[in-house]
Amino acid sequence: MPHKVLVVEDEPNILIPIRFLLEKNGYEVMAVENGETVMEALSSFSPDLVLLDIMLPQMDGFEVCQVIRNHPEWREVKIVFLTAMGRDMDISKGMSMGGDGYITKPFSNAEVIECVKDLLSDEPQK
Amino acid sequence: MSPKNKFLWWVIVSIGFVLIVFVSMVWLFWQPLPPNEKALLIQVFKANFGYLFTIAFLVFAVLGLTLDWFFRFYIIPLGQLADEASLMCSVNPGHRVNIDGGKDVIRLSRIINQNAERYQEIKNNIREKIERAKADVESEKNIFAGLLSELPEGVLICNARGRIILYNRRAKEVLGENHPEGLSDKPGERRQSDRYVGLGRTVYEIIDKNLIEHALNEIHMKLERKSPNAASFFVMVSRNHALIKVEAVPVLDHERIFSGFILIFRDITEKLQRDREVNNQLRSLTKNMRASVSSIRSAAELLLEYPGMEAEQLQSFHAIVHDEARDLSELLNNQWFDYSSFIKTQWPLVTLTTGDFIQTITRRAKETLGVTIDLLHCDCEESIKIDNYSLLLSMLFVLHHLKEEVQVDHFNCTLNRKGGYAVLDFGWRGEPIRLDTLRKWENMILKVGEDMIPLTLKDVVGHHDAEIWTYSDREKNGFSYFRLSLPVHDIPASEQIRQLAILSESRPEFYDFDLFNQAGQTSELDNQPLSELSYTVFDTETTGLNPQGGDEIISIGAVRIVNGRILRDEKFDQLVNPQRELSWESIKFHQIQPEALKGQPTIDQVLPAFHRFVGNTVLVAHNAAFDMRMLQMKERTTGIRFINPVLDTLLLSAVVHPIHQSHNLESATHRMGIKVVGRHTALGDAWTTAELFLKLIRLLGNKGIYTLKEAREASQKTYYARLRY
Repeated sequence: MPHKVLVVEDEPNILIPIRFLLEKNGYEVMAVENGETVMEALSSFSPDLVLLDIMLPQMDGFEVCQVIRNHPEWREVKIVFLTAMGRDMDISKGMSMGGDGYITKPFSNAEVIECVKDLLSDEPQK
Repeated sequence: MSPKNKFLWWVIVSIGFVLIVFVSMVWLFWQPLPPNEKALLIQVFKANFGYLFTIAFLVFAVLGLTLDWFFRFYIIPLGQLADEASLMCSVNPGHRVNIDGGKDVIRLSRIINQNAERYQEIKNNIREKIERAKADVESEKNIFAGLLSELPEGVLICNARGRIILYNRRAKEVLGENHPEGLSDKPGERRQSDRYVGLGRTVYEIIDKNLIEHALNEIHMKLERKSPNAASFFVMVSRNHALIKVEAVPVLDHERIFSGFILIFRDITEKLQRDREVNNQLRSLTKNMRASVSSIRSAAELLLEYPGMEAEQLQSFHAIVHDEARDLSELLNNQWFDYSSFIKTQWPLVTLTTGDFIQTITRRAKETLGVTIDLLHCDCEESIKIDNYSLLLSMLFVLHHLKEEVQVDHFNCTLNRKGGYAVLDFGWRGEPIRLDTLRKWENMILKVGEDMIPLTLKDVVGHHDAEIWTYSDREKNGFSYFRLSLPVHDIPASEQIRQLAILSESRPEFYDFDLFNQAGQTSELDNQPLSELSYTVFDTETTGLNPQGGDEIISIGAVRIVNGRILRDEKFDQLVNPQRELSWESIKFHQIQPEALKGQPTIDQVLPAFHRFVGNTVLVAHNAAFDMRMLQMKERTTGIRFINPVLDTLLLSAVVHPIHQSHNLESATHRMGIKVVGRHTALGDAWTTAELFLKLIRLLGNKGIYTLKEAREASQKTYYARLRY
């Protein structure tokens, strides 16, 4: 079974290429566009990794991250922030709140794939 | 008692006294006599009763007339004299005694009248001087008030107890005094009209006492540490809801003791609003640009990497590139970039060390909240730019809510520098605060006990370009943290430092308004009153006393007198390299060692500077002929010529005290009661001469010498003026 990646991104023009990229690299991908629907996707899809935008409508990426980290079943899910917030302080905030990776926009496809691969290399495939 | 009654009383007492003495004598004489002699005397008395009675009557008549004369010429006039002298000393100084009486009484009257004349003259002089001084002060005050009223900032000057001693119109406007909302008459509500800005009113009625006390505490802390920038800033909300940036600057007296403070107000409401909008636009611009570039880059990379992808997929990626490129163009065509120069917010931030900041938080948390903070690590020397009061209140606000939320009153604390940020963590054992709870706190008005500012936590954090969040450290024994991340400010040296306002011992001399009313052309100086001229009082130290024999100047000292005052802040004090040996005699005199003159400028370098210092003032020196000669000797080599009018205090002393033999500086100053400091240094002697000169001006006035011309002409007539060097 391939690794599962949940992409949380409200920009379709970013979502489409990422989805294509991940699928081409052998990942099973599910995409949602806001923080509210993440919980549902986490329950139904059980991803190994979440690519998480921070500036989302309704519930922002940090709040989503906190919820994931506080949930006993999802605590081990890898979280990679994929965001336009690129200050050192933002990176520090994301990582201290439980992020496993932090990619700032604009990013290269190679950067995303490398990060995802690194984080999932030790994860057994479901 | 009326004079008539007084006289009758004196007559009765006198007659009674004489009768008692007479009867007593008769009784003493009568007692020891034998009876036959007593009978004889009675017989004689009876036989001569008529004569004896007439003698007694005449004696009493003479006594009465003498008493009457004494009364009329001495007793009554002396009483009148006392009354009239009292009148002159009190309500009517112009009254003069005009009493008919004895010769001595008339003489005494004349003396009293003479003294009254002198007393009135002195009083008039003093009054005139006071009036003149008052007019000068009033004029300077008006100019100062005019300047103050034109300032774009509101200014309030307060004494140490917070009483307003000066303010300008702008301060009233900025504080919203004319706003209609200032006229609340609701029962139980304090009338805003009671809180007008006004002289003698306390500033604490206008501005929250906590804000000012916090600023003054910060100022005192900085003063104790001798910090070069002792000003403090805070933000307040005026009664018309404007955001006011307030700068508090201490005023120190000449002994550097805190004697008041100046509050400078700037309305930053509009500016902040505009900056906030620009910041939001730029954030949005950055986000959109990053997103667009990401999309384009990702799609382009995929197009290159997978050229054989399906047509539909290919088309969607082409569309992404096209759409995002179009959006980017539109973004760039917008005017947003024009606002980039406004990105720096005008929120008043002051540079502080992280150590000071955490120390204040720790102390206030203990005092206000009963919360103890254990500082485990601190990079205490980092500089941060903060609005001390609002950020401190924000941290107290957070600690207060943390205490209630997690039921903890003891926090661990670390303050680390991480990259360009100072990272402050408050840690506790237990779960972290939920972010939605923190969001709720972020939108609450900051209030802790009595301290309150009408801003939210989010406002304050945003203004500091800071970030707050909570997290739990999964690897450290279940500790959770609240974190404040704040930019470190690494370039304090370039900051503008507000100079401390330090009052000199007398009046401040950094402004001189009467310079606007100068007499002007040098040709008019002669007729100017001495008291209104500007002077440069100077002295030189030399290698010897022979200007023509090659002696050189080794030091020039000078002070200025303007408006009858020696300007303490304007002095010229320069050693001069004479480019020749110093004689032992001269060293003994002026105590200037040859080593001190090595490396000093030569006279051709010093004289132009001194010439500029003198300007078009009147030169004054003691024994000026010598000093002028020394200067004159250098005219040819330096090209500097002093054409200013000159007054010599030695000659003027001789004018004032012609019968005294000695008029050297020691004698003249000793006579005038001037304390000599720094004798035989050029600057010290110049200062002493200046003090002497000011006293001489007053004494010259007593001799009818008021103008420069009169002083010079009087000087020329003295014996000393005939001496030549």
